[in-house]
Amino acid sequence: MRLRRSVAKWLVVLGVLHGIVVCAGFFAPYDPAEQDRKSPYLPPMRVHVVDEEGHFHARPFVYAFRLRQGTFDQYEEDAARSYPLRFFVRGARYRLLGILPSRLHLFGAEDLRIYLLGTDAYGRDQLSRLVFGGQVSLLAGLLGAGITLSLGLCIGAVAGYYGGWRDDVLMRVAELFLALPWLYLLFAVRAFLPLTVRPLAAFFLIVAVIGEVGWARPARLVRAVVLSAKERDFVRAARGFGAKDVYLLRWHILPETGSVLLTQAAILVPQYVLAEMTLSFLGLGVPEPVPSWGNLLSSLQQYSVLVSYWWMYLPTLAMVPFFLGYLGLASSLQERGPAYKIERRSLGSLT
Amino acid sequence: MMRYFLRRLGHAFLLIFGVSILAFLFTTLAPGNYFDEMRLNPQIAPETVAALRAQYQLDRPLVVRYASWVNSLIHGEMGFSFAYNSPVAPLLLVRARNTLLLTVTATVLAWGIALPAGVWSAERVGRLPDRLISWGTAALLVIPDLALALGLLVLAVRTGWFPTGGMASVDFEDFSLLHKLRDLALHLALPILALVLSALPLLVRHVRAAVAEVLGAPFMLAAQGHGIPRRTLLYRYALPAAANPLISLFGFSIGALLSGSLLIEVVMSWPGLGPFLLEAILSRDLYVVIGGVLFSTVFLVTGNFLADMLLYWADPRIRTKSGAR
Amino acid sequence: MKTRSAKPLRCLRLLSLVLPALVSAFGPAEATPQQKNTNEELLVVPGDAGHSGGRLVVSLRGEPKTLNPLIAADARSREVIGVMQADLVHINRATQLTEPALAKSWKISADGLEYTLVLRKGLRFSDGQALDADDVVFTFRVYLDESVHAPQRDLLIVGGKPIVVRKVDAQTVVFQLAKTYGVGERLFDGLAILPRHLLEKPYQEGKLGQIGTLATAAPQWAGMGPFRLKEYVAGQRLVLERNPYYWKTDAKGNRLPYLDELVFLFVPNADAQVLKFQSGETDVISQVSAENFSVLSRQQKSYAMTDAGPGLEYNFLFFNLNDAGEKTSPEMQRRQKWFREVKFRQAVSAAVDREAIVRLVYQGRGGGIWGLVAPGNRRWGDENLAHPARSLERARALLKEAGFSWSNGADGESVLQDADGKAVEFSILTSSSNAERAKMAALIQDDLKQIGMRVQVVSLEFRSLLDRVTQTKEYDACVMGIASFDADPNSDINVWLSSGGTHLWNPSQEHPGTPWEAEIDRLIGEQMSARTFEQRKKLYDRAQEILAEYQPMIFLASPDILVGAKNSVGNFHPAVLEPYVLWNVEQLYLKSSPENGAR
Repeated sequence: MRLRRSVAKWLVVLGVLHGIVVCAGFFAPYDPAEQDRKSPYLPPMRVHVVDEEGHFHARPFVYAFRLRQGTFDQYEEDAARSYPLRFFVRGARYRLLGILPSRLHLFGAEDLRIYLLGTDAYGRDQLSRLVFGGQVSLLAGLLGAGITLSLGLCIGAVAGYYGGWRDDVLMRVAELFLALPWLYLLFAVRAFLPLTVRPLAAFFLIVAVIGEVGWARPARLVRAVVLSAKERDFVRAARGFGAKDVYLLRWHILPETGSVLLTQAAILVPQYVLAEMTLSFLGLGVPEPVPSWGNLLSSLQQYSVLVSYWWMYLPTLAMVPFFLGYLGLASSLQERGPAYKIERRSLGSLT
Repeated sequence: MMRYFLRRLGHAFLLIFGVSILAFLFTTLAPGNYFDEMRLNPQIAPETVAALRAQYQLDRPLVVRYASWVNSLIHGEMGFSFAYNSPVAPLLLVRARNTLLLTVTATVLAWGIALPAGVWSAERVGRLPDRLISWGTAALLVIPDLALALGLLVLAVRTGWFPTGGMASVDFEDFSLLHKLRDLALHLALPILALVLSALPLLVRHVRAAVAEVLGAPFMLAAQGHGIPRRTLLYRYALPAAANPLISLFGFSIGALLSGSLLIEVVMSWPGLGPFLLEAILSRDLYVVIGGVLFSTVFLVTGNFLADMLLYWADPRIRTKSGAR
Repeated sequence: MKTRSAKPLRCLRLLSLVLPALVSAFGPAEATPQQKNTNEELLVVPGDAGHSGGRLVVSLRGEPKTLNPLIAADARSREVIGVMQADLVHINRATQLTEPALAKSWKISADGLEYTLVLRKGLRFSDGQALDADDVVFTFRVYLDESVHAPQRDLLIVGGKPIVVRKVDAQTVVFQLAKTYGVGERLFDGLAILPRHLLEKPYQEGKLGQIGTLATAAPQWAGMGPFRLKEYVAGQRLVLERNPYYWKTDAKGNRLPYLDELVFLFVPNADAQVLKFQSGETDVISQVSAENFSVLSRQQKSYAMTDAGPGLEYNFLFFNLNDAGEKTSPEMQRRQKWFREVKFRQAVSAAVDREAIVRLVYQGRGGGIWGLVAPGNRRWGDENLAHPARSLERARALLKEAGFSWSNGADGESVLQDADGKAVEFSILTSSSNAERAKMAALIQDDLKQIGMRVQVVSLEFRSLLDRVTQTKEYDACVMGIASFDADPNSDINVWLSSGGTHLWNPSQEHPGTPWEAEIDRLIGEQMSARTFEQRKKLYDRAQEILAEYQPMIFLASPDILVGAKNSVGNFHPAVLEPYVLWNVEQLYLKSSPENGAR
């Protein structure tokens, strides 16, 4: 019971986080592509409740930043006027869940663009980019990891269970897949795609290709587990009772691979999200001005950004809860695993 | 046993053959060729570029090029680098040596840390240390390898404790042996740290998952009941029982010795295969890339072979089965 | 700590360098390098008199591939070759004018077809062998040999015919041109004179290409530059030592170069260069991006950063104006109809916010440009070229004149459409390896959104991009940049000429496709043989104005040349021409003052 509750807890956490990302338009104050060329690399605005004179205000407010004369990115807070935060304001157009047109935003301010997480090189709101960026990145991560794991599971199970020449062939193919210079294939895929294909669509296509290419590792891991699982006593017993291959795989062997698969999943999703950075470097990533977590983080790979603008790290912090959520869910499910298995084993011996 | 070994060796050759053909195919499919950049040089006429392409056989059919490449492979040259105007094999060997120095050390360290950390965390599932390790691995997963490496370099600049990348000081040749070793160790420190940190999350998570699963098994309870000390229990009983996925993982670690550190090498200016192959990939120095792929294939095959041998050795169930066959 | 322990070592090292030189002084009867010889006509260069010794460490972005100028195609190899080789006549990177080098003087005949060059006496290669007219003749024979495929060959074809080189006596060489050549003696800049005594045999055997690879170069190679090869460690560094036979002295008569050693460290990228410089492991740095420049400027203590002013790089946007005939898809034909419309291109140019590009991409360290001659080129800029400010109104008016109109899109934004009611939508290619141009493209995308154009930025890895632009020609528009080698606009001749390979919007045409391209061809052809600077300048100005009117290239911005050096480096005078900081490497020296110790 306790275990089930922890699974539920992680599901709620992940649900809330994904909810925010799905309804990005509402939570993001601005259009993520909108440039504010007067404010490149603006640091995060502080939300105040106490003003310069020491008076307390019930409604939180921010001060505007002014560019210091003759500099490119040095700002100072201007306390001459305060801009109170307003909630449920009307602002940039967006489509909720991609369908419902709306202009309602969680918060905003009058006469001033507020940047709670600062801005990037083009003066775009980092908060909006972070929230919207999750849409592309999580989809890419889940898509890529899903394809990889399902292929890996099937192939690994077949190789491990049937063994013999099938194992040999599949594992050698796996090695082939691990060894090939896939970058060139991706270059080729990109080159053959006409430019009229929307760049974002091209990106998802490339993620799908990578997902398909990546099955070899999980397959080898699954195979290793299956190899030993199929020789367990209860499996032999079930076989002795005349259980068919499919039944054995489904009910006795694949459950054993659960922990390996879950761990792989929890690691693969972030890896695919970050893989986009490498892809961007090779011109295969998410195109400007579409925000993604990969291109938010990739600016951290520039030395000048890394040492000059500390708020560019903030997206990393925001992503930790997501991946922690995945890891947490994976380990909760895992903890549930053995108990479940013992139950099943004892049931198995009864029938 | 010997027969099995020979069969695998045969497979390995087939695999390398296959990889080389596909690598040829892929590299040809990708757009552009090495001499394209010359086209952008306003002082070089297109005819000159065409003549160069012809000189290096780039206008010949794939089959012809493959045949002449195999020929040069037999002569130990592995083709010809357009950029360096010299055979590929010696170019690769020097840099592969540097890469191995880095990755072998890092792999040993990473496993040396991940095994106890994973076991420790599995033993305390759900408690504070486990939580901390969870948070730590999640954070490490989110930080891009490259940013991590760059961050370490910033640390080096700020503190002056470590050199900012590279493998040796300029004066290296004049140092005494002891001084040389110290210099090398200082240069190795940061890239190794970056490699270990980026490898840890995967390893720790897998060790933890595998061991946690075994810990709940009836035989562990029985062993505990017999009063076997905890440490022996964990490392002599639990770890071997949980070894199967870890052995495969270890195979990957071996397989990745030549290919796993490429990006970090680029950031850290490590004179290994990383910067070399990256430049070759981007400039379409085809035979260098194919050579690099083949080199890492050899490691990959070896890694997987070792893993299979270990699996066979470590898991009595698999052994009896194969023995029976 | 580190520097202190290194110092005694450095002294030792100095000793070890001087000792062999002393020994050899008592050796063979040949003129010893360190002594001045009356038969030598050395070039005396002005500048602070420094003192000899020391080592300068420079980082190189990537590995050099070869020391052989005949096959060097990449910038790194050229940079290294630049300090190991010398040319007959040299362009001073600071004044941008020619000056004597291996040739102490030259004469151009009255008809402008014959160049007579007189070599210095007593010249020696870095291996001590003498250089005379035979080496020069050999060098040009090799460059011009078709089977060698030297990249230099194309420069030496004037008026469709190769230059004829003739030896008059041991010191005099005559170059015969088929047609007058406006560039004049600048032609000789960068053409390294090769050692015949080493290369004759491999040349006869057809093996020139195999010579001068880094691993084997030491005994096979010699040059006329200030430095020669000492040690090469694959993937790590190249150590050069001073060429004791170098042909320049300072005002006090000390033989140059001052430095004992020049070390090139290979690092893979710009950030690594910055880190190495900031930590004091390298002494000078060049080609710094604006972002890194401001990072480095923030804490200058032992080094100083310099903005050397506008350089010769020009960045531009161009549309696909190729005529592929019937192969063109209807989709592409429709787009090309827009691109071919001059007013469309003018409108795009008017809508581009160059000020924002300079500010956001270059942090203000650069300038907007409106013509092909970059602002760093002091003599050739066209003063009459208009610099119109950004104007969306003018852009809209131009589009309206050309038959475009606006409608409302699905989300309430205004959408530009052509006369047939099709929305104007196209893609701009950028190279994913160049962050600056990618930024420009993102800014242009936003600029053009404001006049209703829907633009996709497609960033491609560089080779893939080149393949699309120069081979398959399947693209709409592209942002690119070119850095001229020389201040003479003829170095960009193939951009101007419709037959040129870098006439990017429509390269290698057999006949100029439009009347204005034909006119530019004519003007450029005419200036090729014009003999005075004023005549050539007038013709070039006209060509620039035509380009500005028809906007086949929409010029965007040009960055400043940003460099830095440790305070201990003397005679550091950065130039805006390549090689920005090492152009006077023979004069660079290390000041031995307290500042040197206080790293």
